[in-house]
Amino acid sequence: MIAFLVRRLLLVGVVAWGAATLAFFLLYLSGDPVDLLLPLDASPEARAELRRAYGFDDPLYVQYGRYLWKLAHGDFGVSLRSQEPALPLVLGRMPATLQLAGAGLLFALLLGIPAGVLAALKKGSFLELLVMVLALLGQSIPVYFLGLVLIMVFGLKLHWLPISGYGTLRHLILPTVTVGTFVTASIARLTRNGVLQELRSDYVRTARAKGLHERVVVYKHALRNAAIPVVTIVGLQLGALLSGAVITETIFAWPGMGRFVLLAVEQGDFPVVQASVIVFALMLSLVNLAVDLAYLWLDPRVRYA
Amino acid sequence: MQKRWWVFLAAAFLGLAFARGDTLVIAQGVDATTLDPVNHQETPTGNVTANIFDNFYRRLPDGSYEPWLGEAKALDDLTWELSIKPGIKFHNGEELTAEVLKFNFDRLLDPKKPLKYSTYFKPIKKVEVTGKYTLKVYTEKPFPLFLTRLTYLWVVPKAYIEEKGADYFANHPVGTGPYKFVRWVKDQEIVLEANPDYWAGKPKVKRVVFRPIPEASSRVVELLTGGVDIITNLSPEAVPTVEGSGVAEVRSVPSIRNIFIILDVKGEGPLHDPKVRLALNYAVDKEAIVKHVLGGFGVPVGCPLNPYMFGYDEELCKPFPYDPEKAKKLLAEAGYPNGFTFSMSAPSGRYLNDRQVAEAVVGQLKQVGVKVDLRIKEWSSYVKQILNRKLDTDAWMIGWGNAQFDADNTLFTLLYGGTVEGGPPQTKFSYWKDPEFDKYVLEAQQTVDQEKRKELYKKALERVRQGAPWIFLHQQKDIYGVAKRVKWQPRPDELLWAFDMELVK
Repeated sequence: MIAFLVRRLLLVGVVAWGAATLAFFLLYLSGDPVDLLLPLDASPEARAELRRAYGFDDPLYVQYGRYLWKLAHGDFGVSLRSQEPALPLVLGRMPATLQLAGAGLLFALLLGIPAGVLAALKKGSFLELLVMVLALLGQSIPVYFLGLVLIMVFGLKLHWLPISGYGTLRHLILPTVTVGTFVTASIARLTRNGVLQELRSDYVRTARAKGLHERVVVYKHALRNAAIPVVTIVGLQLGALLSGAVITETIFAWPGMGRFVLLAVEQGDFPVVQASVIVFALMLSLVNLAVDLAYLWLDPRVRYA
Repeated sequence: MQKRWWVFLAAAFLGLAFARGDTLVIAQGVDATTLDPVNHQETPTGNVTANIFDNFYRRLPDGSYEPWLGEAKALDDLTWELSIKPGIKFHNGEELTAEVLKFNFDRLLDPKKPLKYSTYFKPIKKVEVTGKYTLKVYTEKPFPLFLTRLTYLWVVPKAYIEEKGADYFANHPVGTGPYKFVRWVKDQEIVLEANPDYWAGKPKVKRVVFRPIPEASSRVVELLTGGVDIITNLSPEAVPTVEGSGVAEVRSVPSIRNIFIILDVKGEGPLHDPKVRLALNYAVDKEAIVKHVLGGFGVPVGCPLNPYMFGYDEELCKPFPYDPEKAKKLLAEAGYPNGFTFSMSAPSGRYLNDRQVAEAVVGQLKQVGVKVDLRIKEWSSYVKQILNRKLDTDAWMIGWGNAQFDADNTLFTLLYGGTVEGGPPQTKFSYWKDPEFDKYVLEAQQTVDQEKRKELYKKALERVRQGAPWIFLHQQKDIYGVAKRVKWQPRPDELLWAFDMELVK
């Protein structure tokens, strides 16, 4: 178990290095940001000066080496836009993103799992059809469109909820629904399929034959086994939640990482983009690790060595 | 416990009436990057700092400037005397004296720590305090733009910065301006409060909040539901929605930005012939483009300048009339009775309906037999091509927002051909070589006498009118959505100066 953890944590390190390298070369391909940073009529001297100041005039391998060396010492560079250290800028926006992703996930679990179980139990009914159609819709509707529709309906027409901003619980509602709908739909469909499959299996027949209450059969036995693929999908969906957050944060003016990164990309703020790519990569690999550990608890047959 | 939770939730839901009252909320696309007024180059940042600080000279809505914190006068071609209005205090009580103003210049001129605005003050050699409220500024060469550059001199406090450091200052600004800084929650809001002791009078709006809302349609909905009072960069498509809302309206102002097509005239092709270039100007229907493509949010213009700029001349800047017959005649005279083909680049999404404008021009030129191979370019690679003079087309569409409000920044930067012996080389945006034009703009750069300078620009504009190095299109308008309760007219310099604003019932 310890060996497994150590190995996995090492792997997280490799992922971070890979992400850092990828971020570096992709940005390098997108070109020298100096042209975008200065106004069109800036003098060639001003451009050369800035290029020198940021080291963009060094050979590629020198820049890459310096970049890795600094990263290894926890130095993510300074934002070209605001001249503040990049990592704190990114981390400072993380709580808002985590809050949104967390709320989205909670929303998805609270709505998706019961809906899935219900659909499985009432197989063939109108209710099942309704859940499945809604799930299909939820999975196919683009986040961007959903956000705008919610704004139009609950903000513009009904005046029920604030449209943008951050602070109170009410500000959280529309973004949460926007970012969580896709995941809710996936969880509902997966739960339904899982529970259906489990309900057909031998141990459920045995449990029923023992005369256990149907509720116990479904929730204690079937659902626990059906939960394994759901946990996998939750882990994977965190990526979807975070990328959905980029768009959601932009629409709702949510002060998180996603919107911040988008702006940094547009403005060629390399250090900020690099810092956020690495932070995102680390977050996702840690979540994957957590998912693997969750299997242990859910399925006693799984053993890591 | 549980009961209380529900009560709280219900209260949260019912607390709908978002009372703005005395607070004016402004939504821009992005947050400020810093609150140091001379270390940024972004309008949204400048809009916030302009309310906290004062500039030494102030820009007026017609594009001209006037003394504000004090006055400057030229003693000779290389010396200026500045005198400060006595009794002006920063929000922390510090007084604005000549020492403080010298600190401002020194800070901008420090070669070790250049600020974003340092470039505007480069010709200054030395600053000398001559009295409590007076100082002298010495320049290396004649600096006719000094007065207009003083509008970039947003004055910061000396003692405060020396005590707290520049980084702290950039996040907790203290100025002499109409509004005091209250708080800045990054990406959420910047809150300012009226400075009741403001030296130029008490501001009418009590509290001003700047909120960054990146998504354009979210900004519109916020305006319509009363969440914000002013939104910037309203798209022409959203104009009917705002106009029909009853709570807000559309206000616009011609901006300092002109849109035009630069012709690469250096080769031996048809564009080398001034007659052909004039023909192209007669063949484009500017009125129709402004009306149908821009929804009326533009003003046709026939020269590189616009009325806000020093050096503008009404006669020489009249739009070329739309006259396809004359265009055809000129083309025939030049030896192209059946037209010709050239290629053109244009950006997409950078200026108001830029792509559609380019397409309209292409369609109109086709009417006189000139075929255009239009290539729409992604902005960052387009900029690269322009700056490196690596454009792969014979013409390129661009917008130029001359924030100096002076002909120099447009005529020299975009058209100077480098033909003057011993003078600077051709600028990277210029594809035209006219020795007479070059002589006039260089001479204007050395002329402190503003009347003489104006004469020189008039002569330069005559050369432009005859040479037609570009296809002149229009001056763009800035469009704002404004709540009806706000008394305010937008300004050409895009500034959102709350001291100009008032909330009415």
